[in-house]
Amino acid sequence: MRNISSVLGRLAKSISVSLVLLFAVTLTSHAQDVKEGAALFKANCTACHKIDKKLTGPALAGMSERHSEEWLITWIRNSKAMVDAGDPTAVALFDEYNKLLMPAFTQFSDDQIKNIIAYVKDEEAKLAQAAAAPAGGAAGGGASSDANTFMLVGMAALLLLAIGVIVVLNRVTRTLEKVIANNQAAIEAAQARNEEHEGGDKVKFAQKFLKNKKLVGFTALLLVALLAVLGWQGMWNIGVHQGYKPVQPIKFSHQIHAGVNQIECQYCHGGAFKSKNASIPSANVCMNCHNTITAADHYNGETSPEILKLYRAVDFDPDTRTYGDNPRPIEWVRIHNLPDFAYFNHSQHVVVAGVECQTCHGPIETMEEVYQYSPLTMKWCVDCHKETEVNADNKYYDQLIEAHEKLKKGEKMTAAMIGGLECGKCHY
Amino acid sequence: MKENMLVMNKKNFLGTVCVAVVLTAVVTACGDGTTRSRGWEFSRNMYDPIAYNPDQPNDNFKNKQTAQLPPSGTNPIGFERFEYANTMEDYERAGAELQNPLAVTKENLAEGEHLFLVNCAVCHGKEGKGDGSITKDRSVTDSRGTRQLENFPPPPSYARSTGANSSRGGAMADLSAGKIYHTIYYGLNTMGSHASQLNPEERWKVVMYVQELQKK
Repeated sequence: MRNISSVLGRLAKSISVSLVLLFAVTLTSHAQDVKEGAALFKANCTACHKIDKKLTGPALAGMSERHSEEWLITWIRNSKAMVDAGDPTAVALFDEYNKLLMPAFTQFSDDQIKNIIAYVKDEEAKLAQAAAAPAGGAAGGGASSDANTFMLVGMAALLLLAIGVIVVLNRVTRTLEKVIANNQAAIEAAQARNEEHEGGDKVKFAQKFLKNKKLVGFTALLLVALLAVLGWQGMWNIGVHQGYKPVQPIKFSHQIHAGVNQIECQYCHGGAFKSKNASIPSANVCMNCHNTITAADHYNGETSPEILKLYRAVDFDPDTRTYGDNPRPIEWVRIHNLPDFAYFNHSQHVVVAGVECQTCHGPIETMEEVYQYSPLTMKWCVDCHKETEVNADNKYYDQLIEAHEKLKKGEKMTAAMIGGLECGKCHY
Repeated sequence: MKENMLVMNKKNFLGTVCVAVVLTAVVTACGDGTTRSRGWEFSRNMYDPIAYNPDQPNDNFKNKQTAQLPPSGTNPIGFERFEYANTMEDYERAGAELQNPLAVTKENLAEGEHLFLVNCAVCHGKEGKGDGSITKDRSVTDSRGTRQLENFPPPPSYARSTGANSSRGGAMADLSAGKIYHTIYYGLNTMGSHASQLNPEERWKVVMYVQELQKK
């Protein structure tokens, strides 16, 4: 029954939608050019508007029902004039969207604006059809409530079945207990026989195994070799975290952000160019894009659960696009743990030496989940320092050469003249 | 006969050793080299800092964080306050009053270009035409399969040749230095504030480069 009703519902929905679409297309196609509208829309409107979702400006789906065509044309051409003139609808819209003015598009002709409206209508119809097609919309809603009653009935049935099973099992145990009490002697005899038999089997297997000297030798050799290799690897890797890939609180993919999106490393990890640490970006940097990007295409129109974690961390309300005052930091797990007794400075390597991030961190732009690529051992540091040629095009070396020239000439040089008064030399 | 037996045994023995070694090599080479564990550590206390790292949890504070916000109203040494609010009036005021304090030099422009490419070009495009990499169609293939990624709405172009308008009135190519600085500081529409990523000097360098792009 459920199936038939949902199929009928789906059928009715898709027929009505295609009728609407047909109507819309026939209505608009003879006068307006959807294609030109699409081009104009993409060039001028998408920075602030989406068809199905509120962005900086309202969602445009249904705008032709909300406003007349003349009103829309006047609004798009010069919304400021309308607000200034005190048109009640215009003023209400202006107030609702934080008093942000929509730029005037005085360069558009009436026909061009009509083309844009036609394009929006066309997209609207396409969206409605897409929603109806995969058993979504009203049919989906009906099915889910049906599913709920089905679940409830099923649970009740399971409960009854469970009670029945308990009662039956109870009776069976009672009968079995009676049988055992009646045949005590016979059971003991049987148990004794069984034990003897099993014991014999094990002993026989062990004897056979021990007799085969080659097999014993092989097994022993295998065990020794395995233990030796594992031990060797284990001992060498004490305190070395190469390959360490902890589970992070948000499934952030560097492959998507650094690889496909081509966002520069410095955009998020600016600290690497300015300081000792390659800072973890604060969540406001994530929000620069994710105030808009929700990955809803892959989650049936809902915000991705991973991006929702970000919204929770910065206390962002995507419906009103405002921030609350209860942020909770994201507790990322640190991957690269240099011991406290070793000093490392990112900016010295990245800015002065010009080392690429990938030289030490590996192919980050292909890592879906980041792991420690390099061993970060002292030998690893020293090997690189032995091979790397110094970039001599640096004012620091000019000073050094100057100091040496002075010394050669026999001039007096004090510790203060070569940086001996810097605070950090003593108070680090 | 006896010698033959010994040779046979020797061969067998060598074979057994070979098989054992190969098996060991195969078993220990399993895995992709990554692990969820940090493995064994020796004298952990030499690795942990005595002072707190900025990203460490800290029980001494109410919110359990080491990185605390500075008290409101305090200024770090050398900090320049931006005395304009995030309103339309102050946007216009900043546009009228503020001038770029940096001289237009080759070095400043080069720095501005680098900062623009790093911080702005992802959306605004390398030439500021609103065609950055994340505004274009692109797809990713990973453990969840191949899928299309969402496009970021493209911002309007700065270039005079394209004649795009700002959502706050006027042509993008006519935006004054102060207005551009105000937008970098507070963000606008779908653009977020970039004040935490760029210090005042860097912002002015970016402004300088954007004003070069406006001429195109």
